[in-house]
Amino acid sequence: MEPHEERRGGGVAALSAPGRAVVAIAVAVVAVAVAVHLTMVFLHVAPDNTLSKEHGRTIDDYVLPEFEQNWKLFAPNPLQQNIHVHARARVTKDDGASETTGWVNLSGMDGANIRGNPFPSHTVQNELRRGWDFYSGSHDNDHRAIGLRGELSQAYMKRIVLERFGTELNGGTVDRVQLRSAVTRVAPPAWSSEKIDTKTEYRVLPWWSVGRDDLKGSK
Amino acid sequence: MTAHERPDGPRPDEHRVDDSRTGEHRADEYRPDGHRADRTPPPPPPFRPAEWRARAEAAAGKALARVTGTALGPYQAAVVRIGFAATWLLFLLRELPHRRELYGPESPWGWELAERLNDANEAFSVLMWTESGVWFECVYALAVLASAALLLGWRTRTMSVLFMVGVLSLQNRSIFMGDGGDNVIHLMSIYLVLTRCGRVWSLDARRAARTAPAASAASGPTAAPDAPAAALVSRDVTGVVLWTLAALALAVATFGPGLTAGWALVFWGLWAVQGLWWLVCRRAPGEPRAVCDIVANLVHNGTMVVIMAEVCFIYATAGWYKIQGSRWQDGTAAYYPMKLDYFAPWPALNDLFVGNGLMIMIMTYGTVIVQVAFPFTLFNRRVKNVLLFVMIVEHLSIAVLLGLPFFSLAMIAADAVFLPTVLLVWLGTRASGLAGRLRRGTGFGARGEGVPAGDAGAGSGAAEDTGADTGAAPAVPHGRAPVPAPTAERAPRD
Repeated sequence: MEPHEERRGGGVAALSAPGRAVVAIAVAVVAVAVAVHLTMVFLHVAPDNTLSKEHGRTIDDYVLPEFEQNWKLFAPNPLQQNIHVHARARVTKDDGASETTGWVNLSGMDGANIRGNPFPSHTVQNELRRGWDFYSGSHDNDHRAIGLRGELSQAYMKRIVLERFGTELNGGTVDRVQLRSAVTRVAPPAWSSEKIDTKTEYRVLPWWSVGRDDLKGSK
Repeated sequence: MTAHERPDGPRPDEHRVDDSRTGEHRADEYRPDGHRADRTPPPPPPFRPAEWRARAEAAAGKALARVTGTALGPYQAAVVRIGFAATWLLFLLRELPHRRELYGPESPWGWELAERLNDANEAFSVLMWTESGVWFECVYALAVLASAALLLGWRTRTMSVLFMVGVLSLQNRSIFMGDGGDNVIHLMSIYLVLTRCGRVWSLDARRAARTAPAASAASGPTAAPDAPAAALVSRDVTGVVLWTLAALALAVATFGPGLTAGWALVFWGLWAVQGLWWLVCRRAPGEPRAVCDIVANLVHNGTMVVIMAEVCFIYATAGWYKIQGSRWQDGTAAYYPMKLDYFAPWPALNDLFVGNGLMIMIMTYGTVIVQVAFPFTLFNRRVKNVLLFVMIVEHLSIAVLLGLPFFSLAMIAADAVFLPTVLLVWLGTRASGLAGRLRRGTGFGARGEGVPAGDAGAGSGAAEDTGADTGAAPAVPHGRAPVPAPTAERAPRD
């Protein structure tokens, strides 16, 4: 045996009583901490169950915000539709006339950027895509915001659009913007006998007016 | 045997693994119930509670000796450290042109929006201290530097804290810019702070290896091991400077923009621990240092368990939720992500795969089987290694096919905690051999890599640890620490 093996054996046993007490406390603290942490994280990632329904508050208090996690990657089903976000603006020209621009496919622009790019930036892969998830997850079917997140997500989407449009567009100032989603289901694989309607469905959001503060801090 | 005498190459190490196994078998022969195939089985021994109790106590004692005496899985801890530091570093460099849009003043997730959300959920971000663009640039630069330092293992313990601050600050500033890869980096950056991940493959380890022979030569083999340690510790100007700077920064943060009580406790606590370690190495190298060493091992080992469990949670969750999905059941699920515009950098390449129903079916079922099975395969080394290989290959293909390179890199870094020690040592030798050839022998890997991990001197207070674990105030290994060749036995899971 190599010498360190013997010395290791002497470890805790060779300590004085106070030393051993400290080690004993440390063992207990670490064991409890590991057990608590793993239990909390387990209940956080597990489906709703008897325990997590009863102690949901405690679990959230422990896990959120820094240990929050979601590993339902492509589960229970992968996304089977291309969700594109389109936007248009109403601009006021110098002569006072106003004009509505055509729809711009912002997601299509993201997609074009991703194609042929081995390292797509989070700004094209996540910004609009996750922003839209955030928005649709915090609004009801009548486009009403749900709570703080609803309100924040609307401001976020408006800023994403304004940053891409700029405040000046088609020779006028952007007064209002409007978004719509264009959802196209992915056609079934060629070897499948499934029939799926792949017609694009649109969902148009109300016009949002653009205030001076909406782009605060932006370029 | 010292660092540079360590036999090079994987063969001797592999041998050692075998030796230790044979050793275990031999030990079995003396056990009352040891069953060997070539013997007639003895009659079942009568049930003797006292004997079982003694055996349980012996096992518990052995386990206790292991978790207190050793920072287990030094190579695994190091590869996780290197993997996540590299992933985050590469990501930050890639996003350099977009940094202001992601986390800075130009973000559509405006500072006020972030402030309102973070006030509600209490997420930690130093970027919420002020809206200043200069501050943002400083934080981004610091995050890059901390990642690079952690990657190299320079003042590992201190840099791991800075790394965590960088990750949390940037990600929590714009939480909706992230994806699963960011999520796993976020978690691991916190866990890494509690591990002794700089024991091998680090500048700290190299420094320790360099000072060790010097100290040993100065004192002679029989001299008290602590004298040179104190002498060398006192020379650690960098450590003292870092520690003092940390105190200043913390003081400003605490009394200036304000840390929450919880975070203040965390940071001041970590700072105090660094100081304590420096102090015991210098002034109390006997038992106090041994106790600190044991506690550090315990925390490391506990955290390694958490990291391993976290990886199991990820795969178990991903797998079990998929089982319920109709697309995973009918064998077409793998087809759909490849047809999404946001995940199709190479549509022509994806078409090669999606045209073949059998291929898609195998990919779909294979993914679910591997993910669900993985945690259970940890009970069998060989099966676990096969699955690990499959998962790493799958992540590499996701990196290309779905255009998620940083997500994939992060997942591979997490998987790496389960890589076998033998393979890691072999890779390390190869890498340092390459580095040596490139740099004619004085390279970073050549010696640093050979410094062993944890066992040396643990418990006795002799040698080991050092900069690798002190960051701010490295103690010094003095040389009598034997350098055991890594054995599989040391890895928590190889």
